[in-house]
Amino acid sequence: MKAMEVRLNVNGEAKQWTIAPGDLLLDVLRREGYFGVKRGCEAGECGACTVLLDGKPINSCLMFAAQAEGADVLTIEGVAHGSTLHPLQEAFLDHGAVQCGFCTPAMILNAKALLDRKPHPSEEEVREALAGTYCRCTGFRKPVEAVLAAAGAKR
Amino acid sequence: MFDRVEAFYRPGTVREALRLLQNGKNRARVVAGGTDLVVEADRSIRFLIDITHAGLSYIRRRGKACVIGATTTMATLENSPAIRALAGGILARAAATCGSVQIRNMATLGGNLANGSPAADTATPLLALDAEVVLADARGRRKIPLTAFYSGLRKTAPGKALLIEVVIPALPRGGRWSFQKLGRTESDISLVNAAAGLQLDSKGRAKWARIALGAVAPTPIRAVNAEKLLVGRKVDESTLAEVCDQVAREVQPITDVRASAEYRREMCRVLVRRALEECAAGTGCSL
Repeated sequence: MKAMEVRLNVNGEAKQWTIAPGDLLLDVLRREGYFGVKRGCEAGECGACTVLLDGKPINSCLMFAAQAEGADVLTIEGVAHGSTLHPLQEAFLDHGAVQCGFCTPAMILNAKALLDRKPHPSEEEVREALAGTYCRCTGFRKPVEAVLAAAGAKR
Repeated sequence: MFDRVEAFYRPGTVREALRLLQNGKNRARVVAGGTDLVVEADRSIRFLIDITHAGLSYIRRRGKACVIGATTTMATLENSPAIRALAGGILARAAATCGSVQIRNMATLGGNLANGSPAADTATPLLALDAEVVLADARGRRKIPLTAFYSGLRKTAPGKALLIEVVIPALPRGGRWSFQKLGRTESDISLVNAAAGLQLDSKGRAKWARIALGAVAPTPIRAVNAEKLLVGRKVDESTLAEVCDQVAREVQPITDVRASAEYRREMCRVLVRRALEECAAGTGCSL
């Protein structure tokens, strides 16, 4: 197996990493310390590994790291500005939308992609955006409320 | 999982992709969205050829046909005004049910077909639309009907050909369309899916008909005998009953973890009836 280089932007920082050609993006991000990218089902079902690739949510467990060449990757670590939380993060805290927290990074990234594209979504659109992220604490109601509240607060 | 992969290529052209595929012999695999390939985790793969930069992401009009590049994503299809306006939006509707938001941002039309799954959601509307696929190999390009692309369960057109484009020819004038899907949830894999196309004459009789089904045979299929039964007839209650009985005879569903063969067969009747009723009512396919 030969090593190769991948150049990409992660949370606004230019990175160049040595990877194996068969490495998945999830594994490389976690190896590089982005532990907010969660290892869940590894089959594209649970959504816990969601990152934004050029602004769009994708499952990093299903993408080869080599495919992220030249892309902008956003993980949950890059959502806050320093110690100032993103309005979605504030809303999740205010609405008690975080239980065990495992799915929270993916929920927030999916919600962020939606609000960036559509600042005032309907409840149905919010549910659709969160549908690819499983919360096994069974807490979908509060994340939906939090996203709607964050959208309202940004208004 | 892919620790035996020796090289990852991102060709910028179809020609380069084909050369790499040829050189890699049986150990090279094409990857686009990766949503099926990665889950499959085939350990014999030594070379991966990512075709998402080979210029195959487009939706274009070519004469009276609509052509879609193989690496066009489900998200692009469901949001495209051209695809939403085409044939009542049945292809856009099907693409919108192909998994979660994340999956639809990755998964491609070509991948959905080339993966060879009988449950591929986009295959069913494409069969109803008489779609063709363009295959490229070292000798050149050829266009074949989608029906000829599938040769068996998870088997598609042989050889080291690359599916590069889907062609939807001119549609029958005044055609009415419907896509129906039954899954555990809106975006889950289909237990059964169905698409129908109907053209009526001035007396309300079926002049032209297409009935396609997914997840009920080794490949996505057209129920051609049911279509023949329908043509020339008024789309009334007795016709619908006969056509749906014929559909139930034409499908070959299996029992698996998701549903029994008996249930799938019954749901074929239900979905085709709904599809034809929607076509006959002219309400079209609603997104």
